[in-house]
Amino acid sequence: MTWELFVFLFLAASALISAFFVVDSKEIVHSVIALATCFISIACMFVMLSAEFVAIVQILVYVGAVVVVILFGIMLTKREIMESGKR
Amino acid sequence: MNLFEFSYGIIHWLVDLVNNLWYWLGDVLPWVFGDFFDAVGDFAASHGHIAVMAMLVEALIIIIIGLVNVLNFIWIDRKFMIITPAKVDRMGFLLAPVIFVGSSIAAMCTIPMGFEFYVGTNDTPYSSYPLPGGPEYPGVPASALVAFALFAIAPFAILTAGWSSNNKYTLIGGLRSAAQMMSYEIPMLLCVASVVLLAGSFSFFGIVEAQHDIWFAIPLFLGFIVFLTCLVAEVEIQPFDLPEAEAELVEGWTTEYGGARFGLFMMTGYLRGYIGGALAVAMFLGGWHGPAIIPDPIWFLIKAYIVFVVIEWMRWSVPRVRVDQILNIGWKRLLPLAMLNLLIAAILRTLEVF
Repeated sequence: MTWELFVFLFLAASALISAFFVVDSKEIVHSVIALATCFISIACMFVMLSAEFVAIVQILVYVGAVVVVILFGIMLTKREIMESGKR
Repeated sequence: MNLFEFSYGIIHWLVDLVNNLWYWLGDVLPWVFGDFFDAVGDFAASHGHIAVMAMLVEALIIIIIGLVNVLNFIWIDRKFMIITPAKVDRMGFLLAPVIFVGSSIAAMCTIPMGFEFYVGTNDTPYSSYPLPGGPEYPGVPASALVAFALFAIAPFAILTAGWSSNNKYTLIGGLRSAAQMMSYEIPMLLCVASVVLLAGSFSFFGIVEAQHDIWFAIPLFLGFIVFLTCLVAEVEIQPFDLPEAEAELVEGWTTEYGGARFGLFMMTGYLRGYIGGALAVAMFLGGWHGPAIIPDPIWFLIKAYIVFVVIEWMRWSVPRVRVDQILNIGWKRLLPLAMLNLLIAAILRTLEVF
């Protein structure tokens, strides 16, 4: 098992698991954090494919846009965390 | 007497002590190995052996002093300082400092301080974008873009921290920070675009090399001023420190943090100030170029610290702007000026001045 295969498997698992959490988590901001993890894993995969420029643009555009997604998530959803005593 | 001599003395004393017993054993048991005892004893008493052992002891003493301090701080921190409020969102609350510190330190690593002083994974030079087949530079590929990409992750961490702290002041601070950073990033990246246009390279090495004759701060003076203003807004220093305005929001988006986590935020704030200085130096102030009396990395650090001091100087002499003014300044003043600067850079490039 070469180290490239090992790193690829790690990144693939990270991307898939975080993509699952995007769909699965109840809290919308948790989804967005998982989405950012997914994007960063994919950017690392682009680096492994020696496409560094695509990786940089992936981080610059997508991870930057995640902030806007959080803003919309906060703006358009009901905020129950403030009131609920469970957490 | 320094630490090395001290440990040398201790080792020498110990070796003498053990060697007495050792040679006595060699006298008592001569039939076992013959000259073995003498050889080992002479080696142990030799200067080289004692010096190496003394160095090890010196390192051990230093490490132990450091570790005892660290243990002390960890103990104090866990005993008194680390407070995770009961109703915070734990995932975001614990993850935000990690993202903030990690992205900022990664951004710092991409900035080289000289041709022999950079962080790189291997010795293979990368071609400098956007020109294929152009000159090749070592280190990180397209390092200027990487630095700004990593520098731009910070509002994500700040917004996560502000949201997950479950407090209206932190949420307002986080939202202000997101609005401010995203609107000031556009003129900043336009200034970077003008520099890249003049230098013809996305690598810090190429950009600094292009400033060998004249610093970019002179033809692009307007861009330099716009860049510095945006930098102050990006690192949230005084005229633009709305996200942590003490008089309005309690402590901004760091209100609920305490102990080492707040320390990480504070440290990273100043670290981002230094990164801002380093970016301004590499982009506009000629990087590590200077008279050869002082080596390159020292020149780079001196210039970066001067820019950092200027930024801090602004902090304690300028009052804070209002939240509506900050967006007006960003979108109505700095953005047209940055576009004008890009136009100037394009004209200079077309006239082949550079």
